Amino acid sequence: MTVLHRWYGRALVAAGASAVVLTGCAAPDAEAPAAEDRSWDDVLAEAEGQTVDLWMYGGDVQGNAYVDDVLAPAAAELGVTLRRVPIADTGDAVNRVLSERQAGVTEGEVDLVWVNGDNFATGRQAGAWLCDWTSMLPNMAGTDPDDPLLTTDFGTPVDGCEAPWHKAQFSLVYDAARVPDPPATLAGVLDWAEANPGRFTYPAPPDFTGSAFLRQVLYSVSGGVEEVPLEYTDQAYDELSPALYDRLAELAPALWREGDTYPQSQQELDRLFADGQVDMTMTYGPATVDDLVADGTFPDTTRVLTLEEGTLGNASFLAIPSTSGDQAGAMVVADLALSPEQQLAKARPEVWGQFTVLDLDRLDDDARAGFEALPDSAVVPSYEELSAGADPELSADWVTPLDDGWRREVAAG
Amino acid sequence: MLVSRLGRGALAVWLVLPLVPLLLWAAADRWSAPALLPQAWGTTGLAEARAAGAGPAAVRSAVLGTAVAVLATPLGALAGRALTSGALRAPGLVFAVLLSPLVLPPFAVALGLDVLLLRLRVPAEVGLVLLLTVAAIPYTTVVMRAAYAAHDRHHDEEARLLGASAWQVVRSVHLPLLAPAVAGAAFLAFLVGWSDYVVTLLVGGGRLVTLPLLVGAAASATGNDAQVAVLALSAVLPPVALLVVIGSIGRRARR
Repeated sequence: MTVLHRWYGRALVAAGASAVVLTGCAAPDAEAPAAEDRSWDDVLAEAEGQTVDLWMYGGDVQGNAYVDDVLAPAAAELGVTLRRVPIADTGDAVNRVLSERQAGVTEGEVDLVWVNGDNFATGRQAGAWLCDWTSMLPNMAGTDPDDPLLTTDFGTPVDGCEAPWHKAQFSLVYDAARVPDPPATLAGVLDWAEANPGRFTYPAPPDFTGSAFLRQVLYSVSGGVEEVPLEYTDQAYDELSPALYDRLAELAPALWREGDTYPQSQQELDRLFADGQVDMTMTYGPATVDDLVADGTFPDTTRVLTLEEGTLGNASFLAIPSTSGDQAGAMVVADLALSPEQQLAKARPEVWGQFTVLDLDRLDDDARAGFEALPDSAVVPSYEELSAGADPELSADWVTPLDDGWRREVAAG
Repeated sequence: MLVSRLGRGALAVWLVLPLVPLLLWAAADRWSAPALLPQAWGTTGLAEARAAGAGPAAVRSAVLGTAVAVLATPLGALAGRALTSGALRAPGLVFAVLLSPLVLPPFAVALGLDVLLLRLRVPAEVGLVLLLTVAAIPYTTVVMRAAYAAHDRHHDEEARLLGASAWQVVRSVHLPLLAPAVAGAAFLAFLVGWSDYVVTLLVGGGRLVTLPLLVGAAASATGNDAQVAVLALSAVLPPVALLVVIGSIGRRARR
C-alpha cells in the first residue's frame, strides 16, 4: 500500500477535484450517496452474475497473484466475476470515478478500489464513494468497531464508506551485516546517520514514504506522538514544525550525497539500499520485504527495525464508487475479502504477507489458531511486535503543509 | 564512405545499446549491484509477465493499434491530398489545426474530454479509439502530405484517359505508387494506439488492459525488473518487426 500516492497522482487528482469544483453547477452535489439498507441475502442474490472491476495498484506481484489466484476463484463460487485492473497509481481510479460522477454515470467502469489516505479523502469530498454499506457485511463482525485504524483513515472518518482490507506499519529496514548494532529509537537512527556520513537518506516528500518519515521525525522531535495534535491547525504547525526542519537541515550534510539530492521515490531508495549505497531503507509495507529478500533484490541480512516508541500505522480499504453499476457484487467481494479464510490466506508470507484487519479475539477458535500458526519470519517481526505502541496517523490536512515546508526549509536550505 | 559507415555504426549502437540491459534483465533471476552481469539466469521474469497477462494484453494492444491505424491512415491520406491539391484557401492554417493535437498533452485531453464523452454516453471503447485516432492524425497527415507533394497526378490522369474506372485508378495506380507512404503512416498510427497509456486507462475505463498498462503498473515498484524487462521487450519488439516488414515494402516499391 506504500505507493498508492504519488506526486503525479496527487496532481491529477487535484486537477480532477478542482474540475468538479469549477463546474460547480453541473457537478452533482458532493453529498455521499448512502447505500439502501437491505438484507444480506438480497445483496447476494443481486450480486449473482455481476462482474466486479477491482482497480488496484498493480506493482505488487504477490498482491496481483493473490487477487487472481485466491480471491477471484472464491468470488466465482459466489457467482461474482472479479476482474483486476492494474494501475500504476490509485489516483487514476479516483480520476475516472470523479469524471463519471461529473457526467452523472450510474453504470460506471470502476466497481471497487484499493484505497486509503488522501485518495480516499479526495473522493469523499466529491461524493465519489458509496457510504453506509459496510455495516451490512456479515464479516465486519470480526473487526473491532472501536479500532482507531479502522474508524478513521488518515484523519478522515470512514463512516462505512470503505471496508477494511489490511493493515500496514511504517518500518525502517536495515542490513544487519552493515549495521551490526542498530539504533532502537528514531532519534538514535538520526544520530547513527550523522555518525555514518553518506549511509542514510530518505525519499523526498511528497513521496508517500518520505512524507511518512517526515511525520515520524515530527513525533520524535516533538517529544512523542501525544505532543502532536492529530487535527491540523496553523498554530500547531507553527509551534512544532521548526524543530522538525531544524533537525533535518542539521542532518542533511551527513546524508547520501551530502543531502544535495534525495531519492525521488521509495523505489529509488530501495534501489540504493539493494545496491549497497545506503544501509537503510524504509517502507509502509514491511510485508513485502520478505519477498524482496527471497528473490535476492535485498541482501539476506536485511532486517526490519522495531522502534521503542512505535511507528506510524494505517489500514487500507476497499471502496465502492458511487458510480458503480455492480455495487451488490462489489459488496460481496469486499465481504469475502474480510472473511477469516481470505484474511488468513493473504497473511501467509508466501501468498502476500499482509497484516489482518480482524480482531483475533472475535474469531472462533479454529480461525484464531490459523492466525497464531502463521510462520515467523527472520526478516519481518510479527504484526504484534511491529505495531506495539503504534502511532496514529496525522490527519491528511497535515501532510501538504509538512511536505511544502520541507521543500522550503530543508531541500532549498 | 568511411565516415558514413562509422556514422551508421554509431547510430545502430545508439539504438541497440539501451536494449542490452533490458535483454539481460529479462533473463535474470538475480542481479544485484555491483555485479556486472546477472548472478542467476532464469525465466522468472517471463513467468511473472505471463501471470500478469502479457499475452492477452499484447493482443489487445495490437487490436487497438490496428483500429487506430485503420481510421487514421485514410483520414491522413485525405487531408494530405487536400493540403497539396491547391484547392484550399489557407493550407498552412488547416495544416496547423490538423497538427494541433501534437502540442496538447494527452493528460489534458484525456481529463478534459473524458467527462464530455461520458455525458454523451459514448461507450468507453469507442471513445478510446476516437481520441487516439485524433492523436494519430497529425502523424498520418504529415507523412501523406509529403507523399502527395511528391506524387505526380499525371499518372492518375493518364490511366483515366486510357479508360480505367475511378476505382481501378485508385487500386492499380494510385495506391501502389503511394504504398510505402501509406504503410509508413499506418505504422505511426498503429504506434499511437499500441503505446498509449493515459487515454487507454482514463477514457477506456480500464476495459482494455493493454501492454503499456501492465508495464506502468509493474514498473511502479521495486524488485520487478525482470518482469518489467520482459514486458518492455514485448512492447518494443513487435513494432520493430513491423518496421522491418514496412521497410521491405518500401524497398520493393522503389524497385
